[in-house]
Amino acid sequence: MKKILVVDDEESIRYLYKEELEEEGFAVEVAKGGEEALEKVPLFKPDLVTLDIKMPGMNGIETLKRIRDLDRQIPIIMCSAYGEYKQDLTTWASDAYIVKCADLTELKTTIRRLLGLV
Amino acid sequence: MSGHPEAFDLLKSIIHLSNSAIPIKAKLDQMLQTISEAFGSDQCLFLRREKIVENGFLSRVASQTEPFWADKESPFSGEEIHPEEKDLLRPTFACIPLYDETIFQGILYIGFSEKQQLSSQEIDLLVLVAKEMGEAVRNAHLLQKMEQTSSELATLHEMGKVVTSTLKLEELLESIVRTGLKILKAKGGVLRILDRKTKELKVKWSLGDYHENPLDEKIAKRVVFTRTPFLLNHFSKGNPILSIVCAPLLSKEGSFGTLGFYDKETDPSKFDERDFQLLLTMANQMSCAIENAVTHYETSKMVDEHKKRVGQLSILWELNKALLTTVNFERILQITLTAITVGAGLGFNRAMLFMLNERNRSLNGTMAVGPDNAEEAGKIWNYLSQEKEETLSDLIAQILPSSTSNSILNHKVKGIQVPLEQEQCILSRTVLEGKSFNVLFPQVDQEGVRTRCERGCLLSSAASCPIGEHLSRDPTVYSFATVPLRGKGKVIGVILVDNLYNRNLITDEDIQILSMFSSQAGLAIENALLYRNLEEVHQTLKDTQTFLVHQEKMAALGELSATVAHEIRNPLVSIGGFARRLYRTIPDEAPEKRYTQTIMIEVSRMEEILNNLLNYTRDESLVLKEVDLQDILEESLSMVSEKFDEREIELVKEYAEELPKVIGDHQQLKQVFFNLFINAYQAMSGKGRLSLRVHPVSRNGASFIRVEVEDTGSGIDPENLYNIFNPFYSTKESGLGLGLPLIYKIITSHRGQIEVDNHPGEGVTFIITLPVAPLREGKMREVDQ
Repeated sequence: MKKILVVDDEESIRYLYKEELEEEGFAVEVAKGGEEALEKVPLFKPDLVTLDIKMPGMNGIETLKRIRDLDRQIPIIMCSAYGEYKQDLTTWASDAYIVKCADLTELKTTIRRLLGLV
Repeated sequence: MSGHPEAFDLLKSIIHLSNSAIPIKAKLDQMLQTISEAFGSDQCLFLRREKIVENGFLSRVASQTEPFWADKESPFSGEEIHPEEKDLLRPTFACIPLYDETIFQGILYIGFSEKQQLSSQEIDLLVLVAKEMGEAVRNAHLLQKMEQTSSELATLHEMGKVVTSTLKLEELLESIVRTGLKILKAKGGVLRILDRKTKELKVKWSLGDYHENPLDEKIAKRVVFTRTPFLLNHFSKGNPILSIVCAPLLSKEGSFGTLGFYDKETDPSKFDERDFQLLLTMANQMSCAIENAVTHYETSKMVDEHKKRVGQLSILWELNKALLTTVNFERILQITLTAITVGAGLGFNRAMLFMLNERNRSLNGTMAVGPDNAEEAGKIWNYLSQEKEETLSDLIAQILPSSTSNSILNHKVKGIQVPLEQEQCILSRTVLEGKSFNVLFPQVDQEGVRTRCERGCLLSSAASCPIGEHLSRDPTVYSFATVPLRGKGKVIGVILVDNLYNRNLITDEDIQILSMFSSQAGLAIENALLYRNLEEVHQTLKDTQTFLVHQEKMAALGELSATVAHEIRNPLVSIGGFARRLYRTIPDEAPEKRYTQTIMIEVSRMEEILNNLLNYTRDESLVLKEVDLQDILEESLSMVSEKFDEREIELVKEYAEELPKVIGDHQQLKQVFFNLFINAYQAMSGKGRLSLRVHPVSRNGASFIRVEVEDTGSGIDPENLYNIFNPFYSTKESGLGLGLPLIYKIITSHRGQIEVDNHPGEGVTFIITLPVAPLREGKMREVDQ
């Protein structure tokens, strides 16, 4: 079973993603900020990380950099309510950029693609 | 002569003759005749003092004062005689010296060819007769002296009258020459005055043509420089006598002129000593008067000059005052040209101003003031002559802004452009050489300034133009002058003046004051120009500021709405996400299925609104390519054609035959026109017409495509007109009001322009111009991954 770490400061989002992705057959672990995510990555060893950008404390872009320092291979999807960060070159270090949407189809498709499940 | 009665008769005859009124010469002749007859002598003479030679026996007789005689009894002893006296040594003769008081006058001589005896009575009688003759000579002298004195007195009187009659130099000089002519009975006269500055001796007044003789001038020069009077009686064979008298006019400082006369009218035609003395008297008398008159003349000339200067200065002062009242360029030009043309100012008929355009090196007609034709000029002068005297500033205050702009002359001059390189042209030369020109030029037509002469020179103002030189001999000359208009250290234009209607010649003095005037006006005009530029720059700054404020407002709004949108998006994701989860778990027949679906749809709609909003605020990168605007328009139209058909909205399309491509983002431009068409659709309730016109245009050398979208809707309420491009300002019941702001944003990011031609109640035309040339610094980023 593939393991996914969902990083988001919004509890309802973490909850929704966990429910939806578990239903899709993934093992889901959540983290409510950058710091927690960095703790959990070595322990949980996720196969993929979804990363919110705008978070209190360490933001998504900084977190992305730190995770890449730990593990260069792990696929990371930036999930943001903002579209602007697409133009920020630092987010290019991620594997995909998705503007948050109630319809999670795009997210799920991207995850499967990145995990080679399609 | 023997007895007393004869002696008595002789004495009686002599006294009678002596008292008669006949001239002295004839009187003496008759006396001698009478004596000769009474004594029966062969010769009887009156020897004048000046005829008696020195060292002869006659001179000895004269010195002895006693009568001397030689006769039978006492013959001549053969004393020393002068050869000229030989004839007088007759066998018998007597010499009686004549004395007037103690002054010797001459000798009465009586001679006989026979030797005879002279009695003492006879000698006594001769002494008596001689005394009477001496008396007659003396009387004649006295009479002559008296006459001379009285004629001199008359001269002095005449001259006195002349001196006191006038202070006018010309009149005085004329009277002097005329009076002198009368007194001296001369045929001609001339009066010369030495010019104080040039030291030239100039003829000031003359009668007759003698002064043209070079000899005359030579004499006059000699007289004036030596201060010595001159008398010449020149005899030459075959020619009439040349007779000249000339005297210097003397003042304290020396001689300042000459007075000369020519050819006496009497016979012989020559001036004598008396004339000479008279002339001297006259010259002395007149010198003072002439000097006074010359001084008076020079003083009044100076006064006139000063008056003129003061007048000119006050014009300059008035103008200066007037120029200080405004910084408006047009007004300053008007004041300047009016001051040049009004009578209280410089009084030229017309004035034209040409400003220098340094960028394209040409002179452009800027303004002109003056009557359009002779009739109008006459009316103006007539009007002015009825008006009471007005000062320049009064007149200037009355100038209306529109008064010059309507004249034909003004229009004509405004159409004149002279390239600066045209060196033949006076206007050009005035600028290039920085000096004024005063040109006499043939008048060609009543319309005045011809705009092109036969040499191709504008304004027919070529000074070296051969046609001009040829025709300037024509009596109807057209004269004009140009002066450079100076700013600070450089020429900024040319003022051209003429006197087309009254044909007054333009003097160098006119030019001088015009130059003074134009240098003042030049500074004012330059200042006004600078001020105008400043105003223009100020306006641009204001526009830019407004634009920036707008941009800032947009940016602030964008930021705010982006924040709000993002804050909303997260909860929406949860709501929508969980609703989807619910939806999947609810059986199809349960009513909750429908509820959940509604939540999902509404969430989707809200997300769509957010996307729109963020599209507006987010600086979406443009995908710039060469695009065909017609294609884009057609695509946009196809998206709305169904709606148009439903409402029977007529579509009128007008595309130019060859439309160049534009550089732009296909999708964004499509959005623009789609929004515009939807806008039009919504503005037209019921039927209507949408007109689409697309044409290439060029502006300031760049090419654009102009798209006009015209509807027949209700138009825009003027109150709202200024807000239509502001986001969230919608007058529609539905919609966020983001359509037009989005259009605005897209068009400006394409370096295009959008304008609104609003006719409330009739419709609106949106006009979009997009540049054809490739954008120089567009955001040419590639599409995101």
